[in-house]
Amino acid sequence: MFLTRSEYDRGVNTFSPEGRLFQIEYAIEAIKLGSTAIGICTSEGVVLAVEKRITSPLMEATTKEKIVEVDKHIGCAVSGLMADSRTMIDRARIECQNHWFTYDERITVESCAQAVSNLAIQFGDSDDDGAAMSRPFGVAILFAGCDEKGPQLFHMDPSGTSFQYDAKAIGSGSEGAQQSLQESYNRSMTLKEAITLILTILKQVMEEKLNSNNVEVVTVTPDKLFHMFSKEELDQALENVTPLIKDEGEASTSRK
Amino acid sequence: MLSTTKKLENTGFSFDNCLRNRFLEKNGFISPKGKKTGTTIAGVIFKDGVVLGSDTRATDDTIVADKNCEKIHYLNKNMYCCGAGTAADTFQVTSMVSSNLELHRLNSGRPVPVIVACRMLKQMLFRYQGYVGAALILGGVDNTGSHLYCIYPHGSSDRLPYTTMGSGSLAAMAVFESKWKPDLSENEAKELVKDAIAAGIFNDLGSGSNVDICVIRKDSVEYIRPYECLNEKGIKRGNYKYKKGSTALLQSHTIALHLEEEIIQTINDGSSMDTS
Amino acid sequence: MILANTESNSSLKSHNTRFNPYDDNGGSIVAIGGDDFVVIASDTRLSTGFSIYSRNQSKLFKLSKKSILGSSGCWCDTLTLTRLLNARMQMYLHEHNKEMNTPALAQMLSTMLYYKRFFPYYVSNILAGIESDGSGWIYSYDPIGNVEKCKFRAGGSSGVLLQPLLDNQIMLSNLQNIDEQPLSLEKAIKIIQDVFTSAAERDIYTGDEIRIMSITADCFKEEKIQMRKD
Repeated sequence: MFLTRSEYDRGVNTFSPEGRLFQIEYAIEAIKLGSTAIGICTSEGVVLAVEKRITSPLMEATTKEKIVEVDKHIGCAVSGLMADSRTMIDRARIECQNHWFTYDERITVESCAQAVSNLAIQFGDSDDDGAAMSRPFGVAILFAGCDEKGPQLFHMDPSGTSFQYDAKAIGSGSEGAQQSLQESYNRSMTLKEAITLILTILKQVMEEKLNSNNVEVVTVTPDKLFHMFSKEELDQALENVTPLIKDEGEASTSRK
Repeated sequence: MLSTTKKLENTGFSFDNCLRNRFLEKNGFISPKGKKTGTTIAGVIFKDGVVLGSDTRATDDTIVADKNCEKIHYLNKNMYCCGAGTAADTFQVTSMVSSNLELHRLNSGRPVPVIVACRMLKQMLFRYQGYVGAALILGGVDNTGSHLYCIYPHGSSDRLPYTTMGSGSLAAMAVFESKWKPDLSENEAKELVKDAIAAGIFNDLGSGSNVDICVIRKDSVEYIRPYECLNEKGIKRGNYKYKKGSTALLQSHTIALHLEEEIIQTINDGSSMDTS
Repeated sequence: MILANTESNSSLKSHNTRFNPYDDNGGSIVAIGGDDFVVIASDTRLSTGFSIYSRNQSKLFKLSKKSILGSSGCWCDTLTLTRLLNARMQMYLHEHNKEMNTPALAQMLSTMLYYKRFFPYYVSNILAGIESDGSGWIYSYDPIGNVEKCKFRAGGSSGVLLQPLLDNQIMLSNLQNIDEQPLSLEKAIKIIQDVFTSAAERDIYTGDEIRIMSITADCFKEEKIQMRKD
């Protein structure tokens, strides 16, 4: 990719002769610099987990919010440029409220993801009100939610493409994590198993040692809806993780 | 000089509250309106007399107030008058004129000419400048022949061979214009008037229910009411009789009633009884 | 709610009144929801002032498999509103990949009406629909989007005449010592037919014909009944 780089990577509204929009591809690359975020969908609910990079012991870890509530029944995990993510999350929240206001029902996870995708591709030349973004958003988002179709997980990247997944990882550790998910995921797993799996994988791909301060976990279930794990709940969940790591050693790549 | 005798009441309308009411209305008071009868009335002259016709609906705004009211008013033995407009006005004007016509007949000792009635009506209506809202069709037969007049609320009048009035006048006139011809027979005239009124009944929402017809001939009058029932009431499918004791009782209060019975028995000896 | 002055003889005093964009084209709607059905009816008379535009204009709009809207008042507003509703439902279908259900439709109609709070659609809407549990419900609206969910409702020109009749016959108000039985579709249709017969007797804007539409879990039915035409 870098070999064919030319002046075509300057404008977001110019295709390269090979038919590529380099700025979008670069934006997707930007995600790979972001912290790892993983989502797993089970029949009982969806779980999201992200690593929080505590860059300084003086930093207040709790102010780094990477999983947010978008509506009572939808949570989003973001990776990439956090500043950009604010805009997208705002849009997601507005779409959810608009839907509830207009139809007196919860928006589906798919429609929510789709609505944010529409925002993601609105970049380039300014539109009439001059509100368009000058470049693609440098953010990937995992949408976890429960609607009438049950628990669902959607992934959206900077190009505005969104797909449904059983399990998906984004961010710097995503390649390894996705590999692990592919090997370990099965559709009949319980939510509890999924939480253990998600933390196990996160532990493998994180550079720092996993603890209750540098991880955020959220579940979205049909009865409790959006639920952010407290420190106590995190500690409890992490207890299930440690033995596996000990058994398999630090080099292990997957859980049998 | 002080008078102890009671002054005779002034005749005519009382205008006592006019100023007060005008003041109230200026301050937003909405004064009550009289009942207007959206109406279809019609009349034609035929060979031997006049046929008058009317519908029988009285409306109060958009509600039907009376499903079978009488709109052909008696004026005198030889003349009748259909009324449209404000119900009270048509009734009062025709009955007042009827009284005066009868006095006129007694004074003159001959059948009153129809034109006399027409003149009385229009003079009365003109006096009140249209505030007495009566639109009338006057028909009758006198020594000079058959006459049909149409009198407007402001006091103008037309003498016509056929005419219609009221909110359904256009519908009714459409029928007359397409079917009327000179020298109709009595039956033709009755059917024509019926068709005209029916057009008003079906196409004008202010008119409805039945057709009344009044035929005035040289020496006789035939008032047919109803001439034809065009609208039968729909049949109820359910039963709306309430069982005894099904009315909700909100409160009950018992008052003890003390009865004192006194029996008076008269004993007859039989002789005073008349048994014949 | 009070709308702008809608005096019927506005033409007489047009020299000092503004153009009035509204007309009242009359017509009545009655709807009843049961445990497993919903039924809605309208007359077919369309009128203005003292004249009739049509004797054959149903005021019912089948919006989806599960819902029917009855709309009377200013007919041009009814036409615009129902077209817009159909368009919005189509957009919803494409955007969310599912048919709109009755509560969503009811809420959307409310927001669409309130959107025109200061230049309202001059219509009285009654929405009849089957909900996800199969029960029938009625949503009734004022012209600016106030909505009430209920089991039965009469609206339009003779709404105020018919509602007390329905209260008595369906809710059994002001009655006692009566064993309440669940309302059947047949009984509901019978009541509707009879209240319309009564309305046609006294309301000049109601008459000509009744159209009755009913929805149950497995079927949709429509029937016509003649009424007096004067």
